[in-house]
Amino acid sequence: MIAITTIGKYLPENRVSNLDLLEKFETDELFIRDKIGVVQRAQKAPEEKASDLCIKAFENLLSKKSLDKSTVDCCIVVTQNPDFNIPHTSAIVHGALDLPESCACFDISLGCSGYVYGLSIVTAFMEANAFKTGLLFTADPYSDIIDPEDKNTALIFGDGATVTLLEENQPGLVALGYDFGSKGAGYKNLVNEGKLYMNGRAVFNFSAGVVPKSIEKLLQKLNLEKTEIDQWYLHQGSKYIVDTITQRLSLEPEKVVFNMYDYGNSISSSIPMLLSEDLSNFKQGQKFGVSGFGVGLSWASAIFEMK
Amino acid sequence: MATVTVEQILETIEKAKLVQDINTLDHSKPLTEQGIDSLDFSGVLFNIEEAFGIEIPDDDIDGLQTINDILVYVNNKV
Repeated sequence: MIAITTIGKYLPENRVSNLDLLEKFETDELFIRDKIGVVQRAQKAPEEKASDLCIKAFENLLSKKSLDKSTVDCCIVVTQNPDFNIPHTSAIVHGALDLPESCACFDISLGCSGYVYGLSIVTAFMEANAFKTGLLFTADPYSDIIDPEDKNTALIFGDGATVTLLEENQPGLVALGYDFGSKGAGYKNLVNEGKLYMNGRAVFNFSAGVVPKSIEKLLQKLNLEKTEIDQWYLHQGSKYIVDTITQRLSLEPEKVVFNMYDYGNSISSSIPMLLSEDLSNFKQGQKFGVSGFGVGLSWASAIFEMK
Repeated sequence: MATVTVEQILETIEKAKLVQDINTLDHSKPLTEQGIDSLDFSGVLFNIEEAFGIEIPDDDIDGLQTINDILVYVNNKV
Protein backbone atom coordinates (compact mmCIF):
# COMPACT_ATOMS: atom_id res chain seq x y z
CA MET A 1 0.00 0.00 0.00
CA ILE A 2 1.50 3.30 -1.14
CA ALA A 3 0.69 6.37 0.97
CA ILE A 4 1.40 10.10 0.89
CA THR A 5 3.45 10.58 4.02
CA THR A 6 4.97 14.09 3.79
CA ILE A 7 4.69 17.07 1.45
CA GLY A 8 7.34 19.77 1.08
CA LYS A 9 6.66 23.13 -0.54
CA TYR A 10 8.44 26.19 -1.80
CA LEU A 11 7.11 29.67 -2.44
CA PRO A 12 9.49 32.38 -3.66
CA GLU A 13 9.79 35.18 -1.09
CA ASN A 14 9.20 37.88 -3.69
CA ARG A 15 5.57 39.04 -3.88
CA VAL A 16 3.80 41.21 -6.45
CA SER A 17 0.69 42.95 -5.12
CA ASN A 18 -2.54 42.89 -7.10
CA LEU A 19 -3.68 45.90 -5.08
CA ASP A 20 -1.12 47.98 -6.96
CA LEU A 21 -2.87 47.09 -10.22
CA LEU A 22 -6.43 48.13 -9.36
CA GLU A 23 -6.33 51.28 -11.48
CA LYS A 24 -4.49 49.65 -14.38
CA PHE A 25 -7.09 46.90 -14.70
CA GLU A 26 -10.08 49.03 -13.62
CA THR A 27 -11.01 46.73 -10.77
CA ASP A 28 -11.44 47.00 -7.00
CA GLU A 29 -10.14 45.37 -3.84
CA LEU A 30 -13.38 43.51 -3.15
CA PHE A 31 -13.20 41.82 -6.54
CA ILE A 32 -9.54 40.95 -6.00
CA ARG A 33 -10.18 39.40 -2.57
CA ASP A 34 -13.63 37.86 -2.92
CA LYS A 35 -13.74 36.83 -6.56
CA ILE A 36 -10.16 36.20 -7.71
CA GLY A 37 -8.90 35.37 -4.21
CA VAL A 38 -5.35 36.50 -4.91
CA VAL A 39 -4.12 39.62 -3.11
CA GLN A 40 -0.49 39.10 -3.96
CA ARG A 41 1.40 36.69 -6.18
CA ALA A 42 4.60 34.77 -5.46
CA GLN A 43 7.12 35.44 -8.20
CA LYS A 44 10.41 33.67 -8.72
CA ALA A 45 13.61 35.37 -9.86
CA PRO A 46 13.79 35.50 -13.69
CA GLU A 47 16.78 33.14 -13.78
CA GLU A 48 15.11 30.50 -11.57
CA LYS A 49 13.81 27.45 -13.40
CA ALA A 50 11.28 24.77 -12.52
CA SER A 51 14.06 22.48 -11.25
CA ASP A 52 15.33 25.20 -8.89
CA LEU A 53 11.87 25.47 -7.36
CA CYS A 54 11.67 21.67 -7.01
CA ILE A 55 15.01 21.52 -5.23
CA LYS A 56 13.87 24.15 -2.72
CA ALA A 57 10.64 22.24 -2.11
CA PHE A 58 12.76 19.15 -1.44
CA GLU A 59 14.79 21.10 1.16
CA ASN A 60 11.49 21.91 2.87
CA LEU A 61 10.54 18.23 2.78
CA LEU A 62 13.81 17.31 4.49
CA SER A 63 13.09 19.87 7.21
CA LYS A 64 9.92 17.90 7.99
CA LYS A 65 11.18 14.36 7.66
CA SER A 66 14.60 12.75 7.32
CA LEU A 67 15.03 10.79 4.11
CA ASP A 68 17.90 8.63 2.92
CA LYS A 69 18.22 9.81 -0.69
CA SER A 70 19.83 6.51 -1.71
CA THR A 71 16.47 4.81 -1.10
CA VAL A 72 14.49 6.94 -3.61
CA ASP A 73 13.18 4.65 -6.37
CA CYS A 74 11.53 7.25 -8.60
CA CYS A 75 11.49 11.00 -9.18
CA ILE A 76 8.67 12.46 -11.23
CA VAL A 77 8.05 16.12 -12.10
CA VAL A 78 4.68 17.51 -13.17
CA THR A 79 5.32 20.61 -15.29
CA GLN A 80 4.42 22.32 -18.55
CA ASN A 81 7.14 24.92 -18.08
CA PRO A 82 10.21 22.69 -17.94
CA ASP A 83 13.77 24.02 -17.69
CA PHE A 84 14.28 22.88 -21.30
CA ASN A 85 12.26 20.99 -23.90
CA ILE A 86 15.09 18.46 -23.82
CA PRO A 87 15.86 16.89 -21.36
CA HIS A 88 13.07 16.19 -18.90
CA THR A 89 13.21 18.35 -15.78
CA SER A 90 13.12 15.31 -13.49
CA ALA A 91 16.57 14.36 -14.79
CA ILE A 92 17.90 17.78 -13.78
CA VAL A 93 16.30 17.43 -10.35
CA HIS A 94 17.74 13.90 -10.07
CA GLY A 95 21.24 15.21 -10.76
CA ALA A 96 20.95 18.21 -8.46
CA LEU A 97 19.69 16.08 -5.56
CA ASP A 98 22.30 13.39 -6.20
CA LEU A 99 19.68 10.65 -6.31
CA PRO A 100 20.86 7.09 -7.02
CA GLU A 101 21.35 5.78 -10.57
CA SER A 102 18.70 3.16 -9.88
CA CYS A 103 16.10 5.94 -9.54
CA ALA A 104 13.58 6.16 -12.42
CA CYS A 105 12.82 9.69 -13.69
CA PHE A 106 10.17 11.09 -15.98
CA ASP A 107 8.04 14.19 -16.41
CA ILE A 108 4.28 14.46 -16.68
CA SER A 109 3.01 17.22 -18.97
CA LEU A 110 -0.21 18.35 -17.32
CA GLY A 111 -1.40 21.59 -15.75
CA CYS A 112 -3.92 22.05 -12.97
CA SER A 113 -5.10 18.41 -13.04
CA GLY A 114 -1.48 17.20 -12.92
CA TYR A 115 -1.10 16.53 -9.22
CA VAL A 116 -4.09 14.19 -9.04
CA TYR A 117 -3.08 12.43 -12.27
CA GLY A 118 0.48 12.26 -10.95
CA LEU A 119 -0.54 10.59 -7.70
CA SER A 120 -2.36 7.84 -9.59
CA ILE A 121 0.48 7.35 -12.08
CA VAL A 122 3.25 7.28 -9.49
CA THR A 123 1.34 5.03 -7.10
CA ALA A 124 0.62 2.53 -9.89
CA PHE A 125 4.23 2.76 -11.14
CA MET A 126 5.56 2.09 -7.66
CA GLU A 127 3.21 -0.84 -7.08
CA ALA A 128 3.99 -2.37 -10.48
CA ASN A 129 7.71 -2.27 -9.77
CA ALA A 130 7.68 -3.00 -6.02
CA PHE A 131 9.17 0.44 -5.29
CA LYS A 132 9.15 1.61 -1.70
CA THR A 133 9.94 5.34 -1.97
CA GLY A 134 8.87 7.86 -4.60
CA LEU A 135 9.01 11.63 -5.07
CA LEU A 136 6.32 13.50 -7.00
CA PHE A 137 7.24 17.12 -7.74
CA THR A 138 4.96 19.84 -9.08
CA ALA A 139 6.41 23.09 -10.47
CA ASP A 140 4.90 25.26 -13.18
CA PRO A 141 6.44 28.74 -13.09
CA TYR A 142 3.85 30.71 -15.04
CA SER A 143 5.54 34.07 -14.45
CA ASP A 144 7.71 33.23 -17.48
CA ILE A 145 4.67 33.06 -19.80
CA ILE A 146 2.23 35.62 -18.39
CA ASP A 147 1.51 38.79 -20.35
CA PRO A 148 1.49 41.48 -17.63
CA GLU A 149 -0.96 43.52 -19.72
CA ASP A 150 -3.57 40.73 -19.90
CA LYS A 151 -6.19 41.20 -17.17
CA ASN A 152 -7.50 37.64 -17.72
CA THR A 153 -4.25 36.09 -16.52
CA ALA A 154 -2.02 38.75 -14.91
CA LEU A 155 -3.83 38.79 -11.55
CA ILE A 156 -4.18 35.06 -10.95
CA PHE A 157 -1.05 32.94 -11.17
CA GLY A 158 1.84 32.59 -8.73
CA ASP A 159 5.06 30.59 -8.80
CA GLY A 160 5.78 27.73 -6.44
CA ALA A 161 6.65 24.06 -6.17
CA THR A 162 5.85 21.06 -4.03
CA VAL A 163 7.22 17.59 -3.51
CA THR A 164 5.13 14.70 -2.24
CA LEU A 165 6.85 11.77 -0.58
CA LEU A 166 5.12 8.48 -1.33
CA GLU A 167 6.10 5.48 0.74
CA GLU A 168 5.12 1.86 1.02
CA ASN A 169 3.44 0.61 4.20
CA GLN A 170 3.71 3.86 6.14
CA PRO A 171 0.90 5.84 7.79
CA GLY A 172 -0.45 8.44 5.39
CA LEU A 173 -3.05 9.34 2.79
CA VAL A 174 -4.14 6.45 0.60
CA ALA A 175 -6.28 6.81 -2.50
CA LEU A 176 -9.68 5.10 -2.40
CA GLY A 177 -10.45 5.93 -6.03
CA TYR A 178 -10.05 8.35 -8.92
CA ASP A 179 -12.09 9.90 -11.73
CA PHE A 180 -10.41 11.34 -14.82
CA GLY A 181 -11.57 13.12 -17.93
CA SER A 182 -10.66 15.36 -20.87
CA LYS A 183 -12.31 17.78 -23.27
CA GLY A 184 -9.51 18.09 -25.77
CA ALA A 185 -11.70 20.00 -28.22
CA GLY A 186 -11.49 22.93 -25.81
CA TYR A 187 -7.68 23.12 -25.61
CA LYS A 188 -7.53 26.52 -27.33
CA ASN A 189 -9.27 28.12 -24.36
CA LEU A 190 -6.10 27.86 -22.28
CA VAL A 191 -2.97 27.79 -24.38
CA ASN A 192 0.58 29.10 -24.42
CA GLU A 193 1.48 30.57 -27.78
CA GLY A 194 4.47 32.56 -26.62
CA LYS A 195 2.31 34.08 -23.88
CA LEU A 196 -0.52 32.48 -21.98
CA TYR A 197 -4.01 32.98 -23.41
CA MET A 198 -7.10 32.12 -21.39
CA ASN A 199 -10.76 32.40 -22.37
CA GLY A 200 -11.97 32.94 -18.82
CA ARG A 201 -15.64 32.31 -19.56
CA ALA A 202 -14.96 29.05 -21.38
CA VAL A 203 -12.67 27.79 -18.62
CA PHE A 204 -15.24 28.78 -16.00
CA ASN A 205 -18.04 26.98 -17.88
CA PHE A 206 -15.85 23.91 -18.23
CA SER A 207 -14.90 23.84 -14.55
CA ALA A 208 -18.38 24.61 -13.18
CA GLY A 209 -19.83 21.98 -15.50
CA VAL A 210 -17.49 19.00 -15.19
CA VAL A 211 -16.02 19.13 -11.68
CA PRO A 212 -19.27 18.65 -9.72
CA LYS A 213 -20.21 15.79 -12.05
CA SER A 214 -16.78 14.20 -11.66
CA ILE A 215 -16.99 14.35 -7.88
CA GLU A 216 -20.56 13.04 -7.81
CA LYS A 217 -19.56 10.17 -10.09
CA LEU A 218 -16.57 9.27 -7.94
CA LEU A 219 -18.56 9.35 -4.70
CA GLN A 220 -21.17 7.10 -6.28
CA LYS A 221 -18.47 4.70 -7.49
CA LEU A 222 -17.02 4.50 -3.98
CA ASN A 223 -20.47 4.33 -2.37
CA LEU A 224 -19.71 7.39 -0.27
CA GLU A 225 -21.87 10.36 0.71
CA LYS A 226 -20.58 13.92 0.50
CA THR A 227 -21.10 14.22 4.25
CA GLU A 228 -18.56 11.44 4.82
CA ILE A 229 -15.79 13.61 3.40
CA ASP A 230 -14.03 15.61 6.11
CA GLN A 231 -12.35 18.20 3.90
CA TRP A 232 -12.28 19.21 0.26
CA TYR A 233 -9.18 20.40 -1.58
CA LEU A 234 -10.25 21.79 -4.94
CA HIS A 235 -7.76 23.28 -7.38
CA GLN A 236 -7.43 26.94 -6.45
CA GLY A 237 -8.33 28.31 -9.88
CA SER A 238 -9.98 31.39 -8.37
CA LYS A 239 -12.13 31.96 -5.32
CA TYR A 240 -15.10 32.35 -7.62
CA ILE A 241 -14.74 28.92 -9.19
CA VAL A 242 -14.10 27.23 -5.83
CA ASP A 243 -17.21 28.95 -4.42
CA THR A 244 -19.23 28.00 -7.51
CA ILE A 245 -18.28 24.32 -7.28
CA THR A 246 -18.97 24.39 -3.52
CA GLN A 247 -22.43 25.81 -4.17
CA ARG A 248 -23.25 23.47 -7.05
CA LEU A 249 -22.30 20.43 -4.99
CA SER A 250 -24.03 21.82 -1.89
CA LEU A 251 -20.86 21.25 0.12
CA GLU A 252 -20.52 22.75 3.56
CA PRO A 253 -18.37 25.85 2.90
CA GLU A 254 -16.33 25.32 6.07
CA LYS A 255 -15.22 21.94 4.70
CA VAL A 256 -13.83 23.48 1.50
CA VAL A 257 -10.30 24.78 1.86
CA PHE A 258 -9.43 28.04 0.14
CA ASN A 259 -6.18 29.85 0.72
CA MET A 260 -4.09 31.35 -2.02
CA TYR A 261 -4.57 35.02 -1.10
CA ASP A 262 -0.87 35.41 -0.36
CA TYR A 263 0.68 33.61 -3.34
CA GLY A 264 -1.77 32.94 -6.20
CA ASN A 265 -2.88 30.02 -8.32
CA SER A 266 0.17 27.75 -8.45
CA ILE A 267 -1.29 25.38 -11.11
CA SER A 268 -0.41 21.73 -10.35
CA SER A 269 1.01 22.82 -6.98
CA SER A 270 -2.23 24.34 -5.70
CA ILE A 271 -3.62 21.20 -4.03
CA PRO A 272 -0.37 19.84 -2.49
CA MET A 273 0.49 23.40 -1.36
CA LEU A 274 -2.61 23.29 0.89
CA LEU A 275 -2.16 19.64 1.87
CA SER A 276 1.43 20.31 2.95
CA GLU A 277 0.09 22.58 5.70
CA ASP A 278 -2.72 20.29 6.85
CA LEU A 279 -1.37 16.75 6.40
CA SER A 280 0.21 16.45 9.85
CA ASN A 281 -3.16 17.25 11.47
CA PHE A 282 -5.15 14.57 9.63
CA LYS A 283 -6.50 11.77 11.81
CA GLN A 284 -6.76 8.12 10.95
CA GLY A 285 -10.00 7.31 9.17
CA GLN A 286 -10.64 10.85 7.91
CA LYS A 287 -11.47 11.18 4.23
CA PHE A 288 -10.50 13.93 1.85
CA GLY A 289 -11.73 14.90 -1.60
CA VAL A 290 -9.47 16.53 -4.18
CA SER A 291 -10.08 17.73 -7.72
CA GLY A 292 -7.73 19.34 -10.20
CA PHE A 293 -9.02 20.92 -13.43
CA GLY A 294 -7.80 23.23 -16.16
CA VAL A 295 -5.41 23.13 -19.12
CA GLY A 296 -6.35 20.51 -21.69
CA LEU A 297 -9.11 20.85 -20.84
CA SER A 298 -8.47 18.16 -18.27
CA TRP A 299 -9.73 17.08 -14.87
CA ALA A 300 -8.99 14.52 -12.21
CA SER A 301 -10.71 13.92 -8.89
CA ALA A 302 -9.82 11.56 -6.06
CA ILE A 303 -10.87 10.56 -2.58
CA PHE A 304 -8.19 9.78 0.01
CA GLU A 305 -8.33 8.23 3.44
CA MET A 306 -5.83 8.73 6.23
CA LYS A 307 -4.49 5.29 7.14
CA MET B 1 -41.30 24.36 -27.05
CA ALA B 2 -43.26 26.56 -24.66
CA THR B 3 -42.27 30.20 -24.34
CA VAL B 4 -39.67 30.91 -21.68
CA THR B 5 -41.00 33.48 -19.21
CA VAL B 6 -39.17 36.23 -17.40
CA GLU B 7 -40.01 34.40 -14.17
CA GLN B 8 -38.08 31.36 -15.40
CA ILE B 9 -35.07 33.54 -16.24
CA LEU B 10 -35.18 35.15 -12.79
CA GLU B 11 -35.62 31.77 -11.13
CA THR B 12 -32.48 30.52 -12.88
CA ILE B 13 -30.50 33.50 -11.65
CA GLU B 14 -31.92 33.05 -8.14
CA LYS B 15 -31.02 29.35 -8.04
CA ALA B 16 -27.43 30.22 -8.84
CA LYS B 17 -27.38 32.58 -5.83
CA LEU B 18 -25.77 35.30 -7.88
CA VAL B 19 -27.88 38.17 -6.54
CA GLN B 20 -29.27 38.77 -3.08
CA ASP B 21 -32.79 39.68 -4.21
CA ILE B 22 -33.92 39.10 -7.79
CA ASN B 23 -37.01 41.26 -7.19
CA THR B 24 -34.82 44.34 -7.06
CA LEU B 25 -33.44 43.79 -10.58
CA ASP B 26 -34.45 46.31 -13.23
CA HIS B 27 -35.22 44.21 -16.31
CA SER B 28 -34.15 46.89 -18.74
CA LYS B 29 -30.91 47.93 -17.05
CA PRO B 30 -27.59 46.16 -17.70
CA LEU B 31 -26.92 43.53 -15.04
CA THR B 32 -23.36 44.77 -14.68
CA GLU B 33 -24.82 48.10 -13.47
CA GLN B 34 -26.83 46.28 -10.78
CA GLY B 35 -24.09 44.76 -8.67
CA ILE B 36 -23.31 41.81 -10.95
CA ASP B 37 -19.62 41.86 -11.84
CA SER B 38 -17.96 40.23 -14.84
CA LEU B 39 -17.49 36.87 -13.09
CA ASP B 40 -21.07 36.79 -11.81
CA PHE B 41 -22.23 37.64 -15.32
CA SER B 42 -20.35 34.58 -16.61
CA GLY B 43 -22.18 32.63 -13.92
CA VAL B 44 -25.54 34.01 -15.06
CA LEU B 45 -24.86 32.97 -18.67
CA PHE B 46 -23.64 29.53 -17.60
CA ASN B 47 -26.79 28.89 -15.61
CA ILE B 48 -29.00 30.15 -18.45
CA GLU B 49 -27.20 27.82 -20.90
CA GLU B 50 -27.61 24.89 -18.55
CA ALA B 51 -31.24 25.58 -17.60
CA PHE B 52 -32.50 26.04 -21.16
CA GLY B 53 -30.14 23.68 -22.98
CA ILE B 54 -28.67 26.36 -25.24
CA GLU B 55 -25.17 27.53 -26.09
CA ILE B 56 -24.34 31.23 -25.97
CA PRO B 57 -21.32 31.98 -28.19
CA ASP B 58 -18.91 34.71 -27.01
CA ASP B 59 -19.89 36.81 -30.04
CA ASP B 60 -23.48 37.06 -28.76
CA ILE B 61 -22.63 38.33 -25.28
CA ASP B 62 -22.49 42.04 -26.17
CA GLY B 63 -26.20 41.86 -26.98
CA LEU B 64 -27.11 40.26 -23.67
CA GLN B 65 -26.85 43.06 -21.16
CA THR B 66 -30.28 43.06 -19.52
CA ILE B 67 -32.88 40.57 -18.29
CA ASN B 68 -35.05 41.60 -21.24
CA ASP B 69 -32.16 40.97 -23.68
CA ILE B 70 -31.68 37.51 -22.19
CA LEU B 71 -35.41 36.74 -22.33
CA VAL B 72 -35.67 37.56 -26.04
CA TYR B 73 -32.43 35.73 -26.82
CA VAL B 74 -33.41 32.55 -24.98
CA ASN B 75 -36.82 32.47 -26.67
CA ASN B 76 -35.16 32.80 -30.07
CA LYS B 77 -32.83 29.90 -29.24
CA VAL B 78 -35.10 27.30 -27.66
